[in-house]
Amino acid sequence: MNFDIDDEQRNFAQHARKFFSEHAGTAAARALLDEPGEPSPGRELLTELGFSSLTIPEEAGGVGSELLNMALVAEQAGRQLAGPSLATAARVAVLLEGRNDLLEDVATGRIAVAVVDGSPEASAPSMDVTSASHFLALDGDDLILGPGTVSVGEPIDATRGVGTVGMHLAETARVGSAAQWEKAKLVACTILAAEGLGAAERVVELAIEHAKSRETFGRPIGSYQSVKHRIVDDWVAINQLRSLVWWAAWAADHDPGKFPIAASAAKAYCAATFETACETLVHVLGGIGFTWEHDAHLYWRRAKVDRLLLGDETEHLTLVARRSLSNVA
Amino acid sequence: MDFEDTPEQERFRTEVRTFLAEHETELDHGDGAYLEEPGIDRINSLRKTQAVLFDAGLIGLTWPREYGGGDGTNAQQAVVNEELHRARVAGPVGHVGLGMCGPTILAHGSEDQKQRYIRRLLRADDIWCQLFSEPGSGSDLAALRTKAVREGDRWRIQGQKVWTTLAQHSRYGILLARTNPEARKHRGLTMFVIDMAAPGVTVRPLRQMNGHESFNEIFLDDVMIDDAERLGDIDDGWRVALTTLMNERMAVGGGGGEIGIRSDALIAHAAVRLPQLPAERRPLAYEALGRVLVESLAARYTGYRLQTGIEKGASPGPEASAGKLTAVRVAHATADLGLRLLGEDAVFSRSRDGDWRWATSQASVPGIAIAGGTDEVLRNVLGERVLGLPPDKPRSQEPATAKTNDR
Repeated sequence: MNFDIDDEQRNFAQHARKFFSEHAGTAAARALLDEPGEPSPGRELLTELGFSSLTIPEEAGGVGSELLNMALVAEQAGRQLAGPSLATAARVAVLLEGRNDLLEDVATGRIAVAVVDGSPEASAPSMDVTSASHFLALDGDDLILGPGTVSVGEPIDATRGVGTVGMHLAETARVGSAAQWEKAKLVACTILAAEGLGAAERVVELAIEHAKSRETFGRPIGSYQSVKHRIVDDWVAINQLRSLVWWAAWAADHDPGKFPIAASAAKAYCAATFETACETLVHVLGGIGFTWEHDAHLYWRRAKVDRLLLGDETEHLTLVARRSLSNVA
Repeated sequence: MDFEDTPEQERFRTEVRTFLAEHETELDHGDGAYLEEPGIDRINSLRKTQAVLFDAGLIGLTWPREYGGGDGTNAQQAVVNEELHRARVAGPVGHVGLGMCGPTILAHGSEDQKQRYIRRLLRADDIWCQLFSEPGSGSDLAALRTKAVREGDRWRIQGQKVWTTLAQHSRYGILLARTNPEARKHRGLTMFVIDMAAPGVTVRPLRQMNGHESFNEIFLDDVMIDDAERLGDIDDGWRVALTTLMNERMAVGGGGGEIGIRSDALIAHAAVRLPQLPAERRPLAYEALGRVLVESLAARYTGYRLQTGIEKGASPGPEASAGKLTAVRVAHATADLGLRLLGEDAVFSRSRDGDWRWATSQASVPGIAIAGGTDEVLRNVLGERVLGLPPDKPRSQEPATAKTNDR
């Protein structure tokens, strides 16, 4: 067993880290709250760099990489609150498997695709729809693709591009796609959890920095066990989240039997871990953590929304339980 | 990244699996590493289990061959651990010796000590215990007061130890005692091997809240130890003890192994019990089960990452403390859910159809959260040594309390 990434993957992640720190970040996320628009770095750059087509096969114009590499990039994207989500890109790649013509349109950026949940005519709130030209949805048992009308509400996290969609004039992209739809959703869950991992890790770093330097009653607040232990618990959880994310991402390509449990585990664990880390940060920062000016709420917003996207904690915990029990039977 | 066996590992796995199947009747089994039925003492059959495994080369695989080990790799050991787990073989009864005393002797003992002790320790011919905690020093171990005073080639030991697991069955122990009361508290300690049959050693089992007698209090009245039984240098016992403690945190949860009841036992239990719940309770039970299983998977796969590091040659660092923290949390949640799934019978120590595992585990987990570093001490270790957060208060530079509080 070798449960670690290799040097090439480390370098790749480092490269992604640099890119996202230059082309996304909290300033961009903050600006979106006042002025709606496409999140940074945006679809065009992600397409150009090949990040959004990482899991699209080479013969369809993509990079043909494994999901684990996508997860490593997503972690760095999450750290900078980047958008649109690579979870959407990964989900599209799975849904259009075998439709190389359409995948090529995606890989080259000719169409900007988001996936909508719920009814195609009046979808549930879905991610990355504000920057999309085309939408994928499940209509009965078939996968359909087409344009649609997007309605945007008041977003808690403006980087997620959440809205509802009414599709019209859709064509059938694939017949009998229910199983593929499930798999695509779990792949997206894995990548969303990877983004949450990167964001949560940044959040704990911010909490540690502040706890080391801020003094009260004559000593750093990080020396008080009530503060220290809360931060440690978050750090431990993030370290464990990394294990689940890597495992799920690896299993997507190498262990299809275990993948559904791994993906749901990563998504559920991320929901709680990321949210708790953000709540710790806001609290440890004291009054400044509650201000609009500080970055803390930008991560907090992401956590509060991500935990509900692609199925909440309850949904995924229940899936883990049901799948584990059915393995016994 | 790769979770599959190499062809060589696969061959080895088959060998181990075949052996465990063929010798099933000579081995004890169970649903958790040290989960024992109340009122049943199977220490002798557990010793036999360890001996059978040792004779087959499955215990001490990574230990040096000249002392009875197998000179094997950590990767092979991982295969063995997985197969033992798969076959539900009971955890080795000599776990204190294997996890803590043995590694300490290998690191700090003389050639003569290694020759005399290691092989018998691996085979559970001798059970070992660890005489560290005292009534006045638990988490603050370095404040211990048991004295060792040099008399020629021997040391005279006077003091008291407590929470000593397996002492009543032990032939030997490793003993941390104060040899220099003038020095700062971490500086005046020395480690010894103590013969538990020596005159002046009195062992009194303590009954715990789970009804078992796993640990003991020990009185040491003028016990004489040869200087040749010293482990490491005089007054260097703290450094020696750190070897022990680091191995302990790896042994208890750090390597991703489960403590408490196995998650597959919980799944099997839930498969029977959950469908019997009233319909309106089932959604909550599914969610609760999912939560325990996810925590368990998170801890297990984090252990695999740590294990990979060790297979690549890293030594267990303070990060291993996180594994113990999370393993305890999983054990607690597993016992609690397993018990609640018994429904009305959850108020009994044993359900009416004889299931004692959940109530026993429920009453055992509180001890694991204390043993081998309390949750709070482990969080301090992680916060200060891994995350770089400042200590609670400046560490005392005062000499040890041994002198002023002499008994």
